[in-house]
Amino acid sequence: MTRNVRPIVAALLGAGMLAATWPGATAVAAPTPRGSVTVSAAASLTEAFTRLGEAFERKNPDATVTFNFGSSSALVGQIQGGAPADVFASADLATMDKLVSGGQVVTTPTPFARNQMQIAVKPGNPKHVKSVSDLTDIGTIALCGAAVPCGIYATSVLERADVTVPESSITRSVDAKATLGAVSQGDANAAIVYITDVKAAGTTVTAVTIPDDQNVNAVYPIAPIATASNPKLAKSFVAYVLSPAGQRTLAKYGFLAP
Amino acid sequence: MLAAIAALLFALPLLGLLQRAGWSSLWEDLSTPAARDALRLSLECSLWSTALSVVLGVPLAWVLARGEFPGRALLRALVLLPMVLPPVVGGVALLYAFGRSNGLVGPWLYDTFGLQLTFSKTGVVLAETFVAMPFLVLTVEGGLRAIDGRYEDAASTLGAGRWTTFRRVTLRFLAPSLAAGAALAWARALGEFGATITFAGNIAGRTQTTPLAVYLLLETQPTAAVALSLVLLAVSVVVLVALRDRWFGIRR
Amino acid sequence: MSLDLAFTAHVGALDLRVDVTVGDEIVAILGPNGAGKTSLLRAIAGLGAIDTGRIAVDGTVLDDPAAGIFVAAADRPIGMVFQEYLLFPFLTARDNVAFPLRSRGINRRDARGQADEWLARVGLADQADAKPHELSGGQAQRVALARAIVADPRVLLLDEPLAALDAQARADIRRDLRRHLAGAAGARLVVTHDAVDASVLADRVVILEAGRIVQQGPMQDIALHPRSSYVADLVGLNLYRGTADDGAVRLEGGGIIVVADHDGRGDVYVSVHPRAVALHLDEPHGSARNHWPGTVVEVDELGDRVRVRIEGAVPIVAEVTRDAAHELALAPGHTVVASVKATEVTVYPA
Repeated sequence: MTRNVRPIVAALLGAGMLAATWPGATAVAAPTPRGSVTVSAAASLTEAFTRLGEAFERKNPDATVTFNFGSSSALVGQIQGGAPADVFASADLATMDKLVSGGQVVTTPTPFARNQMQIAVKPGNPKHVKSVSDLTDIGTIALCGAAVPCGIYATSVLERADVTVPESSITRSVDAKATLGAVSQGDANAAIVYITDVKAAGTTVTAVTIPDDQNVNAVYPIAPIATASNPKLAKSFVAYVLSPAGQRTLAKYGFLAP
Repeated sequence: MLAAIAALLFALPLLGLLQRAGWSSLWEDLSTPAARDALRLSLECSLWSTALSVVLGVPLAWVLARGEFPGRALLRALVLLPMVLPPVVGGVALLYAFGRSNGLVGPWLYDTFGLQLTFSKTGVVLAETFVAMPFLVLTVEGGLRAIDGRYEDAASTLGAGRWTTFRRVTLRFLAPSLAAGAALAWARALGEFGATITFAGNIAGRTQTTPLAVYLLLETQPTAAVALSLVLLAVSVVVLVALRDRWFGIRR
Repeated sequence: MSLDLAFTAHVGALDLRVDVTVGDEIVAILGPNGAGKTSLLRAIAGLGAIDTGRIAVDGTVLDDPAAGIFVAAADRPIGMVFQEYLLFPFLTARDNVAFPLRSRGINRRDARGQADEWLARVGLADQADAKPHELSGGQAQRVALARAIVADPRVLLLDEPLAALDAQARADIRRDLRRHLAGAAGARLVVTHDAVDASVLADRVVILEAGRIVQQGPMQDIALHPRSSYVADLVGLNLYRGTADDGAVRLEGGGIIVVADHDGRGDVYVSVHPRAVALHLDEPHGSARNHWPGTVVEVDELGDRVRVRIEGAVPIVAEVTRDAAHELALAPGHTVVASVKATEVTVYPA
């Protein structure tokens, strides 16, 4: 730069900085979210949230999002044990409520998506499963553990369809992904998991629809953790999930509107 | 000083477990059908897999200790592989070998014999044997190498044929390492989780061994999970105490 | 009874070549370490195969590579006592002795009965229930002997049976062993590196050196007429080899030994006992026909006697009294003249 322009630039920069840091000046130039945030989310959100995270980071270059996926119940246990999570997204309201009553979540959790269950079978549906009642005599089926959200939903589906599968034919896994894996990789002949999981599994399984009158509505709530190390960024992420952009991503992966 | 830190490393988790135990509800937690099934299944399957490990592992150890053929080092590496593999990977490998849907020999086994190993108690025994046998082979191979070969020479000059020598001399010398190897294999089989849940699945009453039951219970009924864990702990302590003399004592 | 050994065997770096027959007698195999004594026993026992030739007992071939015959150790009519006895540590003395019988299918009660008889015979009836680690060296040796004999073998092999014993016990146990061996039957071979053991235990001695038999016969004959420096050293004689001609033997190194016998011709051994050597500081003038100048290399005091080693045209070891050694002030580096009467020199064909 030529010598006579430099003082002008300096003056402009100084004015800009003054304007930015002046109390009340934030409306003029809002600071971009910065820092890092850890999001613990139900396993069924793996693909959708990973995408969301990438989009969020593109939108906010100074922010980093780290995900911790697992079964909602396990994640609650971790958070209550002091794990450093900033945001929690659960697969059902009851599990989120544990954090509310435990004091780890102080704001009201917001539902951000809905999910439903579907039957997953081996590619080509070799056992010709057409409905929930067909699950009683096709050998071993895979469900989530009876006490985790995905398993509770599956039990509801079976009850609503008035179908009983003997416990000796059920192999239980700790989260939705593992349950689906028992069909796609293992020898289980069918699984009841979230529609989003079946979609994410692509051609490794074939989907069989569960009619609405037998199906459940899994409501997914999200909330920032009270002890978040970066509360601003945490809120920012939650807002993004609820934003139209976030909702579009969720829909792409098969989630329904909350 | 370092030894004290090492001791703490082992003692603190144990104390943590003991502290979290719901002592008042311990008996109830252990008496539920699920808990009893899990404990019974663990006992049955671990004993079967130990027996299988001995029957298959001793000849293998013999070949490794006494055999002279090219590729012996490779065979030993193969046998030790399950010790190095993360158990879940081991389970996946078993699936790809014996899985009925897309295993190497699984479909053939099913078509020819109607045999499905996954989701069965046999599958549990297979998974446990897979991870436990290397311990036995390793210990017995070491024991065989340590035997002074001259005793076997002496036995043959005294008229004992090869099988008699093995039975009446070699096995007697081998007894301590065989016992130690079997105990190690049993303990390993008892605690096996990753390969079991991946290959044999988690079916209550059929393949849900104690570690698998603990895993599921941990999220929803922690005290019951701890109760079951304490049983495994107690068993391990008993085994270790019994082993102590074999491991460190001088064989008379 | 005959044990025919006519074979070669390559064991490690050693080339073993033997041709000897053992009858119903006790034979000692005497030789330095590494001579192949243990390899010889192992070949007879069937613990190692031979390369050429054959091993036979009373006409039955045990090992004949050319004919493709090899009888396994367990099927050979031999019993062996190993150098460290190798009693099975997990069996009592009685069960150790019963082992060969049990291996042949005899039931436990009969086997134990016979074992008890043998233990009584070797004087260990009261140790029948003892475990090997509770026995003394001498007791363990007797149990090992009983164990080797109990099945009535036609060939009995003993590998350094007294080596594991301390000096005090040795003489007594050696006497006992001689008694037991004499009372047994068949070909009995005792391997040892100790000449006294060989003398006491055996009727005949075979000298094995570097895999070859260099000499055999009664111990006295061997001691008087050694055919190798090993034996000469063993019995403490000076041994030379040279060509005899008209009353003198010319050694390879050039030295001359005057001998009393003028008829001897050709390749001979010459032996001189150290006690027959007199030492002088100057050239002596006397009746002794042999004067050999040399230099003192080593002086060893052994009680009242002193062994002096001298290097020269005729290297020699002399044995003199301690007083004499002091009077002559014998020390390494001093020059002396060794003199030996021709009549003290023993000559025999090589």
